This record gives sequence, C-alpha cells and structure tokens, in this order.
Amino acid sequence: MKLLHDKKKWNSFKMFLYILPFLILVLIFAYYPLYGWVYAFFDYKPPKPFSIDDFVGLKWFHSLVENEVKINQLLQVLKNTFAMSGLSLATAWLPMIFAVFLNELSCVPFRKFIQTVTTLPNFISWVLVYSIAFSLFNSTGMMNTLLQNLGLTTEPILFLQSSDHVWLTMWLWSTWKNLGWSAIMYIAALSGIDEELYQAAKVDGASRMQRIWYVTIPCLLPTFFVLFMLSIANFLCNGMEQYYVFQNAFNKEHIQVLDLYVYNTAMGSGSYSVSVAISMLKSVVSLILLFFANGLSKLVRGESIL
Amino acid sequence: MKKRSYLALLLASMMTVSVVLTGCGGSSAGSAAGTDSASQAESSASAEGGADEVSHDEEMTIEIYDVAANYQGEQTGWFGKVLKDKFNIKLNIIAPQVSGDANSLYQTRTASGNLGDIVILDNADMQDCVDAGLIVDIGDVIGSYENLSKYSEQINQFNGSMDGVEDGSIYAIPCQMNTNGPTAFMGITADSAPKLPWDYYTELGSPEMKTIDDLLQVLADMQAAHPTNEAGDPAYAISMWKDWDGTSIANVQQLCYWFGQEVKDSVLLGSDNSITPLTDKEGSYYKALQFFYKANQMGLVDPDSATQDWNAVNSKMKEKRVYLHWYNWSVDFWNTPEHGENRENYMYTPVEELHFYQKADPYYGDGRVFGIGSGVDEEKKARILEFLDWYASPEGLTYQHDSIEGLIYTVNEDGTYTLTEDGAKRFTADIQVPEELGGGLWSDGNDQINQWIVHGREVNPTTGEPYDATLWSSTIENNQTATTKEWSEKYGAENEVDYMRQNGQLEMVANINIPLPSDTTDIALIRSQCGDLVCDTSWRMAFAADDAEFEQMWDDMCTQLEGLGWSELVAFDTEKQQVIVDARIASEQ
Repeated sequence: MKLLHDKKKWNSFKMFLYILPFLILVLIFAYYPLYGWVYAFFDYKPPKPFSIDDFVGLKWFHSLVENEVKINQLLQVLKNTFAMSGLSLATAWLPMIFAVFLNELSCVPFRKFIQTVTTLPNFISWVLVYSIAFSLFNSTGMMNTLLQNLGLTTEPILFLQSSDHVWLTMWLWSTWKNLGWSAIMYIAALSGIDEELYQAAKVDGASRMQRIWYVTIPCLLPTFFVLFMLSIANFLCNGMEQYYVFQNAFNKEHIQVLDLYVYNTAMGSGSYSVSVAISMLKSVVSLILLFFANGLSKLVRGESIL
Repeated sequence: MKKRSYLALLLASMMTVSVVLTGCGGSSAGSAAGTDSASQAESSASAEGGADEVSHDEEMTIEIYDVAANYQGEQTGWFGKVLKDKFNIKLNIIAPQVSGDANSLYQTRTASGNLGDIVILDNADMQDCVDAGLIVDIGDVIGSYENLSKYSEQINQFNGSMDGVEDGSIYAIPCQMNTNGPTAFMGITADSAPKLPWDYYTELGSPEMKTIDDLLQVLADMQAAHPTNEAGDPAYAISMWKDWDGTSIANVQQLCYWFGQEVKDSVLLGSDNSITPLTDKEGSYYKALQFFYKANQMGLVDPDSATQDWNAVNSKMKEKRVYLHWYNWSVDFWNTPEHGENRENYMYTPVEELHFYQKADPYYGDGRVFGIGSGVDEEKKARILEFLDWYASPEGLTYQHDSIEGLIYTVNEDGTYTLTEDGAKRFTADIQVPEELGGGLWSDGNDQINQWIVHGREVNPTTGEPYDATLWSSTIENNQTATTKEWSEKYGAENEVDYMRQNGQLEMVANINIPLPSDTTDIALIRSQCGDLVCDTSWRMAFAADDAEFEQMWDDMCTQLEGLGWSELVAFDTEKQQVIVDARIASEQ
C-alpha cells in the first residue's frame, strides 16, 4: 500500500511492469532451454523415459577426445570453423562499404533496384542455392559448356567436387547471399548522420571521398563495432545449412564446421546426449570469446558494449 | 498521458501473449487427438472381441503414425471412400518421412505417451515402444479375427522373439506376410542384377560375358558407340547418386548382391550363411568398389555421380542417359510396351561368374510392424482391429493391391483379372476416378498407408493368382514384346529368374523377420561416425587416380575406422545377424 502512495516508486514499478513481459519471454525462451543441458550427462535414448539410472557423468565429453583419430577429426573441424568464421570476420567491413557507396548513388530508382537485387538472395534457402550452383557448375552446366565452347578446356571441370579453395568458395557464396541484407543496418545508420556535418565539411572544401572518409565512416563505426562484437560471439556458430548442402565426399574434410559436425555425428543417428555435450562446449567458448572481444574493445576504444 | 501508458502496457502484453501462443502452436495441435479419443470413451460402452458387435453409427477418426507413408494428412479419394462406406472411419496419417525431421517427431510423440492410434514402425523401434508401454496388448482378442488368424504362425513367431513379451501376448503384427511358405519366391526378376538396353547389346553382337570385366568392356563399347542419347545429351554407362547412402554407399551395396552377399550395416551376410566384416578385402564390398573404380578409369562413370541426387539420376534414366541398371524397378523408368516393341527395353544380360543373393518373399514379414497405441479406448480398439482384420482379408487385399473393379481391372470368364487400359498405366499417368467412386486422381486416392499386412505375392483365393497385378497371367501375356520374345528365345528361359534358376545363378535365402535390438547410444555414435568415413572414402576410392591411391585410401580408412571403434560395431552387428542366420538355418530344415 505504501507503494501506491509513493508516487516515484509507483512510477518505477510501472516501468518495471512494462518490461516484465519481455523478461518473462527471455526467461522462457533463453534460460528455460538451458535445463536441456542435463541431457549431456545422461545416456538418453527415446522413447525410453528420462531416468536417473542413465546418469553417465562426463562420458560424452570424454568420448569426443578419447583417441588420436577423434582428436584429429575434431581439430580439423575446429580449423575449418575458425578459417571460415575468420574469413567472414576479416571481411565484416564489406557490407558497411557497400552501404556507403550505395548511399552515394544519386539516381534513386537505380539505387533502389541495386538494393533490392542484392537483398533478395537472403530469402533464397540454401537448398535452392545449391540447386542453382549444381545447374551452373555440374559437368554439363553453364560454366563447363561455356569453357568448352570457348575452347579453354576439353574435359569438364568438376567444380563442386573439388576440395580446392573450398573455404574461399563457401565465403563467396555466403557473401553473395548476405551482403545486401547485412547492409540494411548500415543504411539505416547512414540516414541518422547529421546533415550539418556534411555541410560543414563541404564548406571546408572536403572532396566526396574525403567526406566519406572523415564523416560517414567515423559515424558508422559504432554500429560496425557492435555488429562485429556480436559476430565474434557467434564465431563458432557459422550455421550448418550451407555446408550441409554443399558437402560431399571430396570436400568434406575442409567443409565440415562445428555445427555440421554435430549434425553429422550425433543428430543423424539420434545421439542427442552427444550433440548436447558439443553444443554446451560451444556456448562456453562463445561466451569466453565475447568477453574477450569486449575487453579488447574497452582497451582500444575506451567503451564497452556490455 | 495516463491513457497512453495503459495503451502501451496493453499492447506490450498482447504482443507477449501472441508470441507465446505462436511459439506453442505445434504442441497444442499435437495433443488435440488425445482429447478426442478421451471424449469418445465416455460416449460408448466397451465392445469386447467379435468383429460384428462393433457399431458404425458414429464417424471415427483414427490417427495412424506411419513410417512408410509419403503423404501426411487425411486419406481421401477412392480408398478413403471405401473406408468411410465400410467402417465409417477416417484415417489421419502422420508421416515422419514427410514431416521434415523424423527423429524429433518420433521423440516428441513418444515423450507425450501417445504415438498414434495405429502405429507402423520398424522392428527395433517397436521393441522400444513396447518396452516403454506405448503399445497395447491384443493377445486376448486377436484370435477372434478370422483373417488375421491366418497369419497366427508368423505373428506368434515374431512376438515370441521380442524381449520381455509374455506368452500369449501380442503387440505387433508384421507387414508383408504371406502363406506361400518361408522359402517361396514368386518374383520374375531378381532384386538386383545387371540390366542393359537390349538394342545396344544386340547391336554389339550380344557378346558372351564371363566376368564383370567383360561387362565393363561391353559397357565401354556401348558408350563408345552411343556417347549421347537421341536428343544429344551426354550418356554414361554408369550414373550414381549419393543421397541414399547409409553406413556405406547404397549403389555399391546393390552390387554386393551380385557376389552372393548382402550388406547389413558393418557386416556382409553371405548366402552361405557366413558373416564377415564389410572391410574384408575378399568381400563383395571391396570387389564392387573396384568395379566402380575400374569403370571410372575407363571413363564410364558419370562425372556428376558424387554430387548429384536421385532425382537427377532418375531424369537421366528416363532419357536413356544411363546404360547399366541394377535395381529391378529402376528399369521401369524406361521400359514400356512401345520401347519393348522397338527392342529398346533394358534386359538382364547374363554374366557367368555372378551369383545373385536373393531373399525369398517375406513370409515372416519385412521388417516393419503394425501395432495399436496404448492410448485407445476399448471401442476404438475394437474398430481398429476390425479395420486391420479387413486390411488382411481377401476383399481388403484386393482393394489395396488391385484397386477398383471396372476402373483398374476387369474379371475374366475364368475368374482371373485383367488390367484395364487405365489400370496398366495407373502408376505413371493421371487416372481420373469417377465421382461416385470417390473422385479425384487415382494416385491421390490410393492407399496412402503405403504398407500392407499381407504381401501382393499372396495367392488370392478368388482368382488362384497372386494379388500383385504384375504376376497375373493376363499381364504377363500382355507385356510380351519383341524384346522379351527375342530374349526368351536366345536364353531359352521364360524370364530372368527362370534363367538364373536353370543356370544356378540364383542363391535363395529365407526371409527372416525378427525384432533385432536397436543401437545403444554408444553404438549409434560409432555407427554414424564410421558410416560417414566409409561413405566418404568409398566415393573417393571410386574416383581414385590410380591403383596405388585406391589401395592407400582403403588402408587408411581401415586404420581410421579402428580408432572410431569399428571392431566394437562389427562385434555388435555380427551378434545381431547371427540370430538371423540361425533362424534361417532353422527354417530351411
């Protein structure tokens, strides 16, 4: 009752009520699933109900590294994950630059057209992307027919079957698919830049490139860093659909990333406990990476995002 | 101001509610069936036993969890109408194969305690579900059902070999049984055998083939003579696909039959009742891989083999861009009466050294079983049993295997059946069903359960011929073409199986159906890791650059397999298959 009389307290309680629904959502969808981690310590196999007799401790964690063959396999998988995530981190500035240049286009219909065309691939599923890739690059596909008609090759080149440059080609595919979509955030940030800054720069005699370099980019950097930080936290989760559809016997050694490894070894055979064990490890590593990146940001830029 | 903040609060809570509701949409739909059956429990008294006591006044929806179905939803069309008219029931088919994620569907439904009213499962899963109490015991009532009782020997044998099932209890009814005897084989083609286009083969002078190397040579000559199909698209002797692979490559497994062995996960089961590891260098898997490797060295393998899927190969088969077929059913994508008259059909071309491993017709069942979910009440149980009994009756079987009289087949003077013109092309063309018979397309209205208690090779007491239309004397007569006549004349045999029998090429084994233990979590993990390695290496070996690389890859694979626990897996599978082999020996005595 005292609460009702104290207007200030009542107000802040009201504010709390506003966010309460979202707190509940977060609890239900982000924290409650953590309960599922217990599966990693049990020998769980449907349809048998969950029982305490099946407690196996750290057996599944141990089974991942119990001999040399498995360790090598895991290391190779981690190598692929780091390489491909590394590639996309190293090129994380591409959408920003793309957005900046897109913004410089003065012909609006053309700009809208480019933006739509580059955003569309984001909505195509990876399965369809693979069928496009297959019809372009199979032995009788467009690419091979073109090369042979031009007399550059005589035998068809099996693009999809080679493990050469697979990290690079995978990066190209995902960039083609995601570039336009990722640029949207920057395009939104661009419209928030104060027009006065540009006018002032113009008065000072800054050229177009100079205006981009000294006004636009610095204004976009905070957005960039937030997104960058988040993608570091997602370092280990590069998804599996893309690699799943593109994998085959010849490139698997270099294409198998952690998520795909979990799927291939555990989900496919119904070994839920093992997949939970691996994804637990993944979450822990991601958390460490996030704090590391945050610390780095504090050190370098003097501000943190957490 | 205050109004506005209330409004904001209202909006926020509405959003929360809607998000929560959409998040839970799936599960609320799933439990609807459960409440459905509960309400029906109140409305009716229990009907014990006898099929004729069941009342059909009330329409009943029966949910059927069906691992064989390729269709999800209500059974409609002509078969739906038959069920509605006869039993006043509707079938709601839950198809894990269609759902996208079969494993998690199975897991969530079993966890909820109600898998379905009728469940169709693989043997091992059925054992797990019986253990978990998800299946009801029908041992006390099944004896009063006349048609199911015809198969009591097989049903008792199966349930007797399940773990933890007491004497007299019946949980599972095997699929695809017959009463022709454990080693009977009514088929006219072997499951797997080399088949070549008859016109191209005779064009080469029908060379005699002693070994599979001769076969490769014939294929090479054929491909040299016809590098493209008539439309000008490149054709290859062999085209493979990767999406059916399991513990090893599906295409290679098919060739193992030619050497008298069957691949059973990590072991090879011989027609001589031997069990050897898949990685045995003397075994058929290695030999079959070598066949594909040699073929690739000769330029006979479609370069897209390792990256394309079945659909891609299927369309190539329809365009005659593949010269070697192994499945007895895949030739039907090309073989037609017209092609047959032009001598263009694919036919078995004997290779002397081959001995084909052939399972007898599934007398004991084929590895899947029917069961009734423990969630059903007495009334529903009686109506399900009534339906299942009909499903195994001559009338039910005629509907399942032969469809509708008049539309699909006609009755001859001597009582046997003949396919109508529409009937002959019912699987390939769109056949319109008249409105009074249910309407729609025939294939849409066909029995979508896609699994049968009794096999089509069972003899129909009304006609004296099997239910399977391809084995009717009228169909065989109608399917005679220039190709088959020429073939029969040259080889002095009525059909493929006849030739193989005459020449001692057919190695029959009894078709045993026993619930085998499902994998423990450890074994499942080893199996999937080893399977990945075997498949990947096999594909690379088929495309290896030279003999040395081929050997090197095989040896590397064997070493790595050991690290992944291969020997444990082989021991597990050997023990499992030994039970089959013992039963096989027993049935042959």
